[in-house]
Amino acid sequence: MAQINWAETIWLLGPEVILTVGALVVLVVDFVRDDDRGPLLPGLTLITLGGAFLLSFTYLGLDRTALFMFEVDNLTSFFRILATGTSVLILLVSVDYVRSRSRHAGEFYSLLLWVTLAVILVAASSDLILLYLSFELLSITSYILVGWLRDEARSNEAAIKYLLYGAISSAVMLYGMSLLYGAAGSTRLEDIARTFSDPAVRVGTLDELVLPAVVLMLAGFGFKTSLVPFHQWAPDAYEGAPTPVTAFLSVGSKAAGFAVLIRVFLTALPMFQVDWAAVLVAFSILTMTLGNLVALVQTNMKRLLAYSSVAQAGYILMGLAAYVATDTSTLNGIAGVLLYLVAYLFTNLGAFIAVIAYEQATGSVSIADYAGMVRRAPWLAGALVVFFLSLAGIPPTAGFVGKLAVFGAAINAQLYYLAVIGVVNSVISVYYYFNVVRQMFFMPPPAEGEEPVRYPQAMGLALTVSLVGTLLIGIYPQPFLDLANVGRQFLAMLPFA
Amino acid sequence: MSSVPLSWYLIVAALLFSIGAYGALARRNAIGILMGIELMLNAVNINLVAFWRYIEVTGLAGQLFAVIVITVAAAEAAVALALILAIYRTRDTVNVEEIDLLKW
Amino acid sequence: MTAEQVVFVLAAVVTLGSALGMVTTRSVFVGALWMIAVFGGVAALFILLGAGFLGIVQILVYIGAIAVLILFAIMLTPRVMGDPNAPRYNRQWPLVAVMASALASLLVALVLRTDWPLAQEGAPTITGFAVELGKGFMTTYILPFEVASVLLLVALIGAIVIAREE
Repeated sequence: MAQINWAETIWLLGPEVILTVGALVVLVVDFVRDDDRGPLLPGLTLITLGGAFLLSFTYLGLDRTALFMFEVDNLTSFFRILATGTSVLILLVSVDYVRSRSRHAGEFYSLLLWVTLAVILVAASSDLILLYLSFELLSITSYILVGWLRDEARSNEAAIKYLLYGAISSAVMLYGMSLLYGAAGSTRLEDIARTFSDPAVRVGTLDELVLPAVVLMLAGFGFKTSLVPFHQWAPDAYEGAPTPVTAFLSVGSKAAGFAVLIRVFLTALPMFQVDWAAVLVAFSILTMTLGNLVALVQTNMKRLLAYSSVAQAGYILMGLAAYVATDTSTLNGIAGVLLYLVAYLFTNLGAFIAVIAYEQATGSVSIADYAGMVRRAPWLAGALVVFFLSLAGIPPTAGFVGKLAVFGAAINAQLYYLAVIGVVNSVISVYYYFNVVRQMFFMPPPAEGEEPVRYPQAMGLALTVSLVGTLLIGIYPQPFLDLANVGRQFLAMLPFA
Repeated sequence: MSSVPLSWYLIVAALLFSIGAYGALARRNAIGILMGIELMLNAVNINLVAFWRYIEVTGLAGQLFAVIVITVAAAEAAVALALILAIYRTRDTVNVEEIDLLKW
Repeated sequence: MTAEQVVFVLAAVVTLGSALGMVTTRSVFVGALWMIAVFGGVAALFILLGAGFLGIVQILVYIGAIAVLILFAIMLTPRVMGDPNAPRYNRQWPLVAVMASALASLLVALVLRTDWPLAQEGAPTITGFAVELGKGFMTTYILPFEVASVLLLVALIGAIVIAREE
């Protein structure tokens, strides 16, 4: 039996240990103090997330394995930073929302910490058992968070639909995983790669198992990343969930889906890239086209952002589909995916924060009620315009840089038609984003509700961070490009890539 | 070696998985859908244990995987039934087609 | 046919027959009883595969916990469950039936075509699986063990927050 060096393990798993302990402390403090409204619980949560976020930077450059199946490499470090950073912003906007609508603030914060932990675990697992378990931890925590507003029928119904869709797709994914386990006789991604790189195995019929297994697993991975046709849950869950949770689903949960795509396909099945890349190209085209077309007819802001985020998943997937192993330039597809995820994080979170602030003040998420927003909330309206510019991919914003990276990767991989479809889709998306902008700036406000919109300071801070991030990546992308490039360096350390 | 070949188990698992998928996708009742999902998970467990018995042999991974799947199934069922009860309390129905505040 | 084959065929027939009964019966309650029979059949298959411990876990958790939970939920929602005339399927069910049959034939074809890399040694060498499982969860698989405990805690909190009467 292998010996475990505990001191070293706890150090390697630092951010995860902090998150778990923090979540337990929040639960206990909530139980003892019964103080759902004070600053104590959000404060503890913020300290936990902040600590995990800062600590995550110290692991850059490492390539170690903790507890036999948790990879502490650059990809994990990247997603640790992304997941904890996302949750800090989500926490800032949840405090006021949860305080006003739920009596279980303490439990909410501890679940927020655990869902963050789940994103990191999903990104770091190199064993199918841990991967499946973390994936389900992420899913089940998300179902609960979506149904958090227990007295609102919409929230419950969104949660049960999300759960039923999610459980079916993860069962299909699990069947695919069991086939890979059968082929390799092991659940370790590395062993699966070794099985298929063995020339004696490669000529056999075992090879033909891979494509069906990939398609089955994509049902689960595609569910998390909301790829068409596994996206049907997204509009309902986005609409019914508490809006901070919607923001998490559209950013954190989606990022976890891409992490697992990168990890599984590039670690376990790099030799079948021709097969899975072709499948991913088809999914990418379908996802961005359908997402954009359906977004055109939406009248609810949260549903609009849901379909917009489906379309964004199509663009992000382009990077992985166009990944070329021999290409080490900065426009390598994986770096594109990671850069796009960072850009998307600031942009989409920013858009949701603006929507939450407006919803808290007006109680509405209908696009019609955004008429005349500029008079009631000029700063909010201005920020929303920047986020929409970024989502549409117009310079000088983060979205433009992200699109440049993935479209560039597609061109480098000579997938010209894919890049063209991406550009056409971006043009379509401009229409519905600017329809909202037109409402905000040029439509007369309804008779009542002329008073200015107010929002708490924490929300203002989160909005400012998102705005600065969106513009900074657009104007000076170098540090973020460096981070994305560090993130993909885990590729160089893979044994079979 | 056992007198029952591996493929027999795999065929039973494939059929059980498809029957479960039919139940999960065709039922109107949320509890009926959940029961279909449980069949799908059971089918995967047959696969895992059969692969452990005939292919992995020396390790533990297959059976451990099955234990984890059972754990997840229990946690998922608990959350699902809690949600179903919450919906029943406010809306008096558990038929997914009648849950129509949001488009299904 | 050997005795083992006879037992296998019996367990398989019980499993698949009950599964068909479960998805076709009109009443969800009767369906739940069929489901218990499926769980029992699967437990028999586990024991036949030499995974006796897992067979017992299957009975304890699936029949003892999950099935009972489902029966409780059915009985706690009587106004819906008691209606004998409620349609059992949604409108797309014929399409779903075709798709499920296609899935079944594809999966069966797939597992039959594949040359599975069967181990040479024959039966598994591990004896006393419960002991080995415990050791595994305390060494190589300690991380999944810890994560599973977090998962159960999260599910517990979630179920209480969502379902508790206030």
